[in-house]
Amino acid sequence: MKKYFTKLIALLILFQCGNSFSQDNESSETSQVTVISGKVTGEKNEVISGANIVIEGTIDGAVSDDNGLYDFETEKTGQANLIVTSIDYATKNIPIDILPGQKMVLNVKLTKTEIKTDEILVTASSFTSGNNTAVTLTPLEIVRIPGADADLYRAITTFPGSNQVNEGSRITVRGGNPNEVLTIVDMASLYNPFIFDETFNTSSYSTINPWGLKGINFTSGGFSAKYGNVLSAVLDLKSYDMPQGSGMFAWLGLANASLSGVYLSDNRKIGATFTAGKLFLEPFFAINGKHSEYSPIPQSNQLGGTLSFKLGETGNLKMYGNYSDDKVGIRNAGPTYDGFFEGSSKSYFSNIKLTTAPSVSTLLSVGGSFSLYENKSRYGVLNTTEKNIYSKGRAEFTLQLNNKTDLNTGLEYEYNEYDIIGAVPLYSYNLALNAPSVNLDTNSNSGRLGAYLEAQIRLTDDLFVIPGVRTDYHSLSSKASFDPRISFGYLVKQNHTVRGAFGLYHQYPSLLDYSRSRENELEPESALHYILGYEFNNDNKIIFRVEGYYKDYSNLVLFNRANYFYGSEGDGNVKGVDVFFKTKISNKFTGWISYAYSDSKRRQFDAQILAPSNYDITNNMSIVGSYNLTDRIVFGLSYKLSTGKPYTPVSGSTFDSTMNVYVPIYAQTNSGRFPTYDRLDMNAQYIFSLFGKFAVGVLAVNNIFNKDNLYDYTYNSDYSAQLPIYTNNKRTLYVGLGLQL
Amino acid sequence: MKLKTISAIFLMFAFLTGFNSVRADSDFDKAILKGKKTLKEGMDKSDASVLKKARGQFERILQLKQQPWLVNYYIALADYGLATTGMRTEDKETIKKYTESGIDVINKSIDENPDFCDSYVLLESLNFNRWQYEQEKMQEIITATQSADAMAKKLEANNPRYVLVTGISQFYTPEAFGGGIKTAIPTLEKSAELFKTRQEKSELYPDWGYDLALGYLALSLLKRNDDGDMSKAKDLIDEALKINPDSGFISGYVQKEYKTVSSDSK
Repeated sequence: MKKYFTKLIALLILFQCGNSFSQDNESSETSQVTVISGKVTGEKNEVISGANIVIEGTIDGAVSDDNGLYDFETEKTGQANLIVTSIDYATKNIPIDILPGQKMVLNVKLTKTEIKTDEILVTASSFTSGNNTAVTLTPLEIVRIPGADADLYRAITTFPGSNQVNEGSRITVRGGNPNEVLTIVDMASLYNPFIFDETFNTSSYSTINPWGLKGINFTSGGFSAKYGNVLSAVLDLKSYDMPQGSGMFAWLGLANASLSGVYLSDNRKIGATFTAGKLFLEPFFAINGKHSEYSPIPQSNQLGGTLSFKLGETGNLKMYGNYSDDKVGIRNAGPTYDGFFEGSSKSYFSNIKLTTAPSVSTLLSVGGSFSLYENKSRYGVLNTTEKNIYSKGRAEFTLQLNNKTDLNTGLEYEYNEYDIIGAVPLYSYNLALNAPSVNLDTNSNSGRLGAYLEAQIRLTDDLFVIPGVRTDYHSLSSKASFDPRISFGYLVKQNHTVRGAFGLYHQYPSLLDYSRSRENELEPESALHYILGYEFNNDNKIIFRVEGYYKDYSNLVLFNRANYFYGSEGDGNVKGVDVFFKTKISNKFTGWISYAYSDSKRRQFDAQILAPSNYDITNNMSIVGSYNLTDRIVFGLSYKLSTGKPYTPVSGSTFDSTMNVYVPIYAQTNSGRFPTYDRLDMNAQYIFSLFGKFAVGVLAVNNIFNKDNLYDYTYNSDYSAQLPIYTNNKRTLYVGLGLQL
Repeated sequence: MKLKTISAIFLMFAFLTGFNSVRADSDFDKAILKGKKTLKEGMDKSDASVLKKARGQFERILQLKQQPWLVNYYIALADYGLATTGMRTEDKETIKKYTESGIDVINKSIDENPDFCDSYVLLESLNFNRWQYEQEKMQEIITATQSADAMAKKLEANNPRYVLVTGISQFYTPEAFGGGIKTAIPTLEKSAELFKTRQEKSELYPDWGYDLALGYLALSLLKRNDDGDMSKAKDLIDEALKINPDSGFISGYVQKEYKTVSSDSK
């Protein structure tokens, strides 16, 4: 029995050892070594060093050397999968048949994971920030630009082609109207991202926090078919999908205070942000003085946040909400009424966006947004409450056909509703409290369905084109538009690129304009863009751009004096040249100069003949510089100079005895020009530690030379004297302190 | 008798089966240890080609599909070493490439094992690198490093590598920002003490940093240069070289600093 037991144990041991032996040599009958070698290169035959080559399921492999060469031995034979990986390149799987004792040579070509078209995909007239390689404006630069007050829109006006409206955040581009600039945040259209908008002699501010943005793309013309219902320019903003960690930041300044925070869950699948801010100007006015009479002084509140969820490997769901309100009363002595212009507004905005990659070569984004904007205005007999509602649903799909071609397509539906209730003066020149007025109580709405298809094609290593088409249908007017567009970029030689764009752009008039038309028959306003430009970009150390453009407008809204309705008989054109030069010198100095020449004429609204458009600024120049005095102190200067914007002067008046007021007689539309505008701003930032935390202090002086820039003209009661109204942006001092909590 | 026989056979069979598992684990263990050795060589010499070799070794170990979180930790550590080679030549592209890769990989490791303190220490160090090439995202960088620091502290406040990274950060941070050698010295001393008595849970786990702690402590003393500091620094350098004779940081940098300071003192 004992002998039997001993034999059994011996057999078991032998069995196990034999089993292990066969596991070690599973696929081979003999232990002959195969040598596998080769070279790893990229698409342009560039050598790839550090690529990892491995036989799947084993640790047999090697890393390519500085010449891209690799070699290794393996005892594995038969069918196998060779996996090749390298940072920034797509993984390659190569089925191989390993013959024992052989020498196999396998040269591998890898392709970049990012689509190469991105490298020069920046289209004509674009300025970008964020993950795009052609970054020209970073959030830090936005915050540091003197006079921009950390406002994204004001920072953009230091680039050529765009101008501020009344030194605020509303911008006009290449002579167009402010409503021809579309802001998009995570696929949602943002129509009222401002406080103190359309308020008498009060500069507006935007409610967008630049630090929350991972990408900023501003295009002043020739933009892609992705963007519809916009004539002049697009500001496409992308926020971070997920915060990078958790923390809070507080800000206290002479005019405002805010608290913001970010949260990231331990498993990094849930993220949240919030911002709360308040504007209070009492300390600011105590230091700088008031230049107008206020009742109440400007005040504003803001509250917003995001909630993000990571769904699986590639999905992300993000929700965004924002509320802001503002209130101001500012005294204006007009020809018929001397009193306070009271304005207040409330704005709600929410957005939800889902992004997922159904496969390695596709991307799907679906979103929905809702915004409500309510604005009250009161001045003399004028007393209105306006409400604008926008809601939008959108889906976008991207398919990477191959490493040279992407297809993009999208569908959107946007609903707009407009209410106005209250009293408006019957005669625009008579705003007295007892002046004749019209009571309004109107409500109108419309829907717009849009779709686009676009391809991004790298025809050669140096040439890419983006052809696209877009169509929109407007339910109120029952009118459709069709927009073919094309843009291209050609790398003439390293660092030298030529870009151009040509296309048709449509924008439907506002619901207010439709209400003034006969049976909503307005056509979509139309612009044909022609753009050609050249850029030198030396790895963003030096950027030089010059771009010429021409836009031909038609179907502009025009008041028809024959029937007193608004029609679509207006037209116009704009031509100009933008020049931009930016440089970075080591890590010490960043600066740029931009110059724009523009000649914009329109027959639109009340202008019955072709006249300078309302925002035709012929010459516009900005010089911005930021210098790191030390590691902790940054000093900046910004200077703006522009020729005056047009206005319509009053050439005389007649007396109306029924209303006991003088009636102005206007000269030709926009035949006058404001004086030249200029302003010099500076700021300094000091980074230090406070209570062991990161802190930043800011000192800013705006309008250093205390230049009296003109806001508008008013007149005395009989229009015999023209009286200037200067902006309230006199020389001001601002200090603030930010602290990471 | 019969029952005893069956039990004995059963136990023997179980032992032999377990023996095979141990053998399988030892392939993984051997591979990790080999990779660690290559990685150490690369770090000591600050040699990019050796670091790439080490990185590749760990990438291949992923094929064994065992403890991928640990393997990814070492891949990220190799990326950190490669990013550091870029700092010597101020090659921002290299710093960015390997820092971003390192952050991606260490985050994968954290996803697989969120309770490993060393992963957060490495994540914090990688995020520090971002100051070199994307200063404009300073708020984001500060948030990311503070979060990683908080997590590491929560998991293992007395991890000597966690304390070391804190000390190194204090060493390089100006006093006005809350750093400086006055703050760094006690932190680095604590790190060195912790290393002295540290027993890693496994030989596969990271064990780097003792020579760095001693080296940075020596540098801090050289900077302070109070009475006795020079000789203490010399002792620390000698001790560091005993622990890691191949350390390029100690022999190539700290020793040079010592020689410079001691000749200036004369």
